[in-house]
Amino acid sequence: MAPTKDQLLWMYAAMAKARYYEDTMAGVYMEGKTPKFDIGAGTVPGEMHLAAGQEPCAAGVCVHLRPDDAVTATHRPHHVAIAKGVDLKKMTAEIFGKKTGLAGGRGGHMHLLDPEVNFSCSGIIGESAGPADGAGLAARLSGRDSVAVAYLGEGAANQGAFHEALNLAALWTLPVVFVIEDNSWGISVPKSKSTAVKDNSVRAEGYGMPGAHIADNDTLKIFDAAGKAVKRARAGKGPSLIEIVTYRYYGHFQGDPEVYRPEKEVGKLKAKDPIKRLRKHMIKKAGIPKGEIEETLEAAKAEVDEAFAFARESLYPAPREALDHVFA
Amino acid sequence: MDSNRILTVSRAMAEAIGQEMKRDKNVFVMGEDIGAYGGIFGATQGLLEEFGEERVRDTPISETAFIGAGVGAAMSGMRPIVELMFVDFFGVCMDAIYNLAAKNVYFSGGHFKVPMVLMTATGGGYSDAGQHSQTLHATFAHLPGLKVVAPSNAYDAKGLMTSAIRDDGPVLYMFHKGLQGLVWMASPEGAATPVPEESYTIPFGEAKVAREGKDVTIVTLSMMVHRALEAAGALAGEGVEAEVIDLRTLVPLDREAVLSSVAKTGRLVVVDEDYRSFGLTAEILATVVETDPGLLRAAPRRVAYPNIPIPYSRPMEQFALPDAAKIADAVRETLDLKKAA
Amino acid sequence: MADVRVPEGLWDVAKIPEGVVANWFFGDGSRIEEGATLAEVVAEKSSFDITAPAAGTLRIVVPKDGVVTPGSVIGRIEDG
Repeated sequence: MAPTKDQLLWMYAAMAKARYYEDTMAGVYMEGKTPKFDIGAGTVPGEMHLAAGQEPCAAGVCVHLRPDDAVTATHRPHHVAIAKGVDLKKMTAEIFGKKTGLAGGRGGHMHLLDPEVNFSCSGIIGESAGPADGAGLAARLSGRDSVAVAYLGEGAANQGAFHEALNLAALWTLPVVFVIEDNSWGISVPKSKSTAVKDNSVRAEGYGMPGAHIADNDTLKIFDAAGKAVKRARAGKGPSLIEIVTYRYYGHFQGDPEVYRPEKEVGKLKAKDPIKRLRKHMIKKAGIPKGEIEETLEAAKAEVDEAFAFARESLYPAPREALDHVFA
Repeated sequence: MDSNRILTVSRAMAEAIGQEMKRDKNVFVMGEDIGAYGGIFGATQGLLEEFGEERVRDTPISETAFIGAGVGAAMSGMRPIVELMFVDFFGVCMDAIYNLAAKNVYFSGGHFKVPMVLMTATGGGYSDAGQHSQTLHATFAHLPGLKVVAPSNAYDAKGLMTSAIRDDGPVLYMFHKGLQGLVWMASPEGAATPVPEESYTIPFGEAKVAREGKDVTIVTLSMMVHRALEAAGALAGEGVEAEVIDLRTLVPLDREAVLSSVAKTGRLVVVDEDYRSFGLTAEILATVVETDPGLLRAAPRRVAYPNIPIPYSRPMEQFALPDAAKIADAVRETLDLKKAA
Repeated sequence: MADVRVPEGLWDVAKIPEGVVANWFFGDGSRIEEGATLAEVVAEKSSFDITAPAAGTLRIVVPKDGVVTPGSVIGRIEDG
């Protein structure tokens, strides 16, 4: 399955937007946190997990999705939220803890939820899997052909919730696609020291579903595998697993001293940057004019800049609003 | 060597663990990122270097498996120290804690020992939101079979850890992230303290009087001890002398310390960073009331987290979090004094 | 008298202009032995232990949270 020109531009936009978003966030996050890094200080306090480098996993899958398809994501959610079409202003305001945020500031960066596009995420490893099964079940029971996509890290593939959800999805023939973003590191522990199998896609077979392994963060290969998986799910044929070897340029969380990471690793990864690779393909193979690509990039950046400006200008909630929305 | 050496709580914990590992080859540590990283909150810093991979084991993200394995190892002659990175993660592995670890001594009529320490990070106030900021003292104290300890400072941290490791039953060691002395998270002044170089233990079930006073008793533990001391400092300026009781352990609970203090002061404020209802604060109040309600000269007060998921946004989180100002106001209420403006 | 100094070249100031004293492990006026871990200095994400160059009485020059660079004197060891 190969993408059309429109799809290529869509994916490029999603990836460029996500990259610029994460790079912008990296700078904003450090506001108020130097010279002494205090996690609770500054414009964006708390934890921050950036996904620069992992954009193809979001774009290559979400290009096949509709707003009524559900996506559950992890503690590293921004690129997926962007690809899914979460309102960028509300999302950024939420991360800034502002009243205009998706949850009025109650959730923050790890708990971005948007019913408009059926996107949610959780900070607990593995807990994206069960709800994706549920969304898939709901689609089946209501006679819709929507699908659910669960994002997980390679570390989550060792969590009980993952195994249970895979079995359940296969057992009930649920329209779910499990996407494992293998960025090699579960904080400081490399996959080789956490996972008994080299390739999580082989686990798929053990759970009664097809598994695909994408070895090199390639947007086009992801597009193909995801297209097939989504088509299979929509046709009522059941779940699939896709494992993508991807990279995270930043640390596990911002402030992570990364003592565990071999020194030149990030540099080597940047040499294979997936956005550059896609751009090259678009120009050389798909014949898309450079001008159009530049325009797409500028538009993406402008949208991100606008979102950050909106977040900055927005007001904080009144402290007492903490007590609202505990119950429905 | 003088014991004028100051340690942060995290270093004190790591020192206690290291000394016990040297003393007893059956002690080993496992958990996520406790090896090369030294523990996300510094509890195992330096241990991998000293003891190697066999005894300092990084685990996959498989809490049910490795906590269950901790129970099994403990029942097979080892003395494991297992880290649950954030107490909030208990959801994925609660069975191993409350159905296995907590009950196997009982189920075997005492014939099996389960000498496992489960150490876990608690606490918020730095915008880590609803799944990474909880304290959950009551959740675990409520379950029979589990001892629960929560130090407020480095000296207690080392002594309680040593006692926990030497205990033949399961001990939940709850350390507050904001007390660890991490370079990336501010900690209060009194958290790091002088810590003796040699090994020592602190018995469970013995609260400490962190500050003596005659007008009101403030009972609390962990981070809130420091907030209570701050409040007491402010109140002293108004002529109110507050006594601060640092519980140090929840199970066993030093009810006597609470009762003798309240017998002296007649007024009680209980402070807990955990959710207000159905928890620690209620337990302390019940202890006083069911012993002798006449001890109280005024209605007691609780300062605790409201019954809401912990909000992310700073103004909302700070609104909800117990702090020195709220504690001082509660004290004033028991004395019928006007609250601060 | 000896200086307790953040070692020259401990980190690359071109990349990280400043660090902070994150923790002191002895109070001002404490007697310390040579080689004792006196303080912890943090530069961006890296953390360094600073040890005593000699035995004696510690005088703190840069308190906790004070800003430092490689070469900064953070304390002094007085003889006796």
